[in-house]
Amino acid sequence: MALLEIDNVTVRFGGLTAVDEVSLTVGAGEVCAVIGPNGAGKTTLFNAVSGNAAIGSGRILFQGEPIHGLLPHQISAKGVRRTFQNGGLFGDLTALENVLVGLHARVESGILGVLLASPSARRIETEATARARALLDLMEIGHVADQPAAQLSGGQQRIVEIVRALATEPPLLLLDEPAVGLAPHMREQLVSIIRRLAGQGIGILLIEHAIELVMSVADRVVVLNYGKKVADAPPAAVRADKNVLEAYLGHV
Amino acid sequence: MAQPIVTPGPTSPTPRAPRLPRWLFWLIPLALLPLPLYLDQYRQYVVNLILVYVPVAIGFNVVIGNLGLLAFCNVAFFGIGAYTSGVLALKLGLPWWVTILPAGLMGALAGAAASVPALRGVRLFYLAIMTLAFGELLRWVYIRWVPVTGGSFGMSVPPPNVFGWVLDNEGHKYYAFLALAVITVVLTDRLLRSRFGRAFMAIKDNEQAAAAMGIPTDRYILLAFAWSGFVVGIGGSMYAALIGHITPIAFDLTELILQFAVVMVGGLGSLTGSVLGAALITTAPEFFRPFPGFLELLFGVLIVLVILFLPRGLASLLARLHPLFVDRYYRD
Repeated sequence: MALLEIDNVTVRFGGLTAVDEVSLTVGAGEVCAVIGPNGAGKTTLFNAVSGNAAIGSGRILFQGEPIHGLLPHQISAKGVRRTFQNGGLFGDLTALENVLVGLHARVESGILGVLLASPSARRIETEATARARALLDLMEIGHVADQPAAQLSGGQQRIVEIVRALATEPPLLLLDEPAVGLAPHMREQLVSIIRRLAGQGIGILLIEHAIELVMSVADRVVVLNYGKKVADAPPAAVRADKNVLEAYLGHV
Repeated sequence: MAQPIVTPGPTSPTPRAPRLPRWLFWLIPLALLPLPLYLDQYRQYVVNLILVYVPVAIGFNVVIGNLGLLAFCNVAFFGIGAYTSGVLALKLGLPWWVTILPAGLMGALAGAAASVPALRGVRLFYLAIMTLAFGELLRWVYIRWVPVTGGSFGMSVPPPNVFGWVLDNEGHKYYAFLALAVITVVLTDRLLRSRFGRAFMAIKDNEQAAAAMGIPTDRYILLAFAWSGFVVGIGGSMYAALIGHITPIAFDLTELILQFAVVMVGGLGSLTGSVLGAALITTAPEFFRPFPGFLELLFGVLIVLVILFLPRGLASLLARLHPLFVDRYYRD
């Protein structure tokens, strides 16, 4: 059973069919990249999986269970976590607090416990904070833990966002253009992070324009064009595919 | 399937940002205890008025500063609190201290009702005007529901009574008010520093990302409004006890703008700022008394100057003094 199964999914906005009968699967420990020209429907497909866009037809199964029709926070709670294309961080919160928000579902303190500062509520908060700090340290950005996210560099922000998404140890991670605006050495770090996560059994669905990054990290590449899937194969095969060349360069 | 991704070590090698020890806070109310010994009845009344505006401002700030929604129905919660307290005391003969919690709960109920447009996805100016209408609607109720509220002439509230003691002078009221102000500050601070407050801030910064982190945003928007209503409702019951007479005009748009000024001058999103804003805005007119006829002008100039030089409010002044004074979730 695949971790994520997108089965014949169509998403329409009015008369526009943004995603047109697309099917794909992501297995545990697999890195699946979705590429395609601008407007091909990549982000819409992501939004459909994370519950931010309603699907017109088809099914989306996570660990065998249908998740389409659930609200974004419910899908997140099931273990599908995502990052956003244009900086989804909470700018006024520190890096640490961002990760703590990522841990929200795991910080199970009740409101009465919080108001009365009960020992258990305090312990839960202390443990969550320690865990969030440790996660940031592990990604080697512990030194910026107490800085507001808006003041971090682009690369640091991207890593904080990944740490935040991973804080609850989700089985599936959706990364929406994680390499945009990253310096070359940060891209290398990103590649190694993605590899490490996949090595630990996390399924990764990745949207990316940086082709060299995709080719070096993906196990499988899905190409979308005008909302339709035009290729689904290992990187080397996709590189040689006639349909893909057409999607990018036009009919030749 | 879900294997541990990382195994965090027991201790963090990264030094933490310095913070003031939290117990230091208690020195402030402690230092304020002997105040009635030094103040005449009028000055004590002004100090009591500051204490009324502490919960009023911190409640308002939770919604506009922390949750980040333009909801302008704070006078509705204030009025509901005052009338609940007044009606229970006058019609049912309950002592004032018994009416405080019901005033807060009715405020919370009003907060929950006022959150409905926000829960339906109304935002920005549209939310501002709808919540404004909510406050005006309640004012219409106070004016029309004469048998209960006394209509436009309002109602006189018996002197406040705590455990059988009648608080018949300003100094006595002061201790009850100081206790309530401290309780509302401490509870709101605890709420804001918990996962609940983090959720409010996350919703303010990026609602979509907050939902993607597993936060049921609707539930937290409702909670923020209800908490705001609760705290401001308690402020309303204090107001009823302080003034002794409540009229619909006390909860009009002018009052709303004054409360907005308290939050803005104090610092959006800052608990400390709300307290400082309440102190400045309430006492400023007293300092302008030597210049009769210029009160409104000077008051306006003061607000403009504060916002111009301290756009993040008085809280940022404190934060500039020393990094230790930067309060959490408030960014200069």
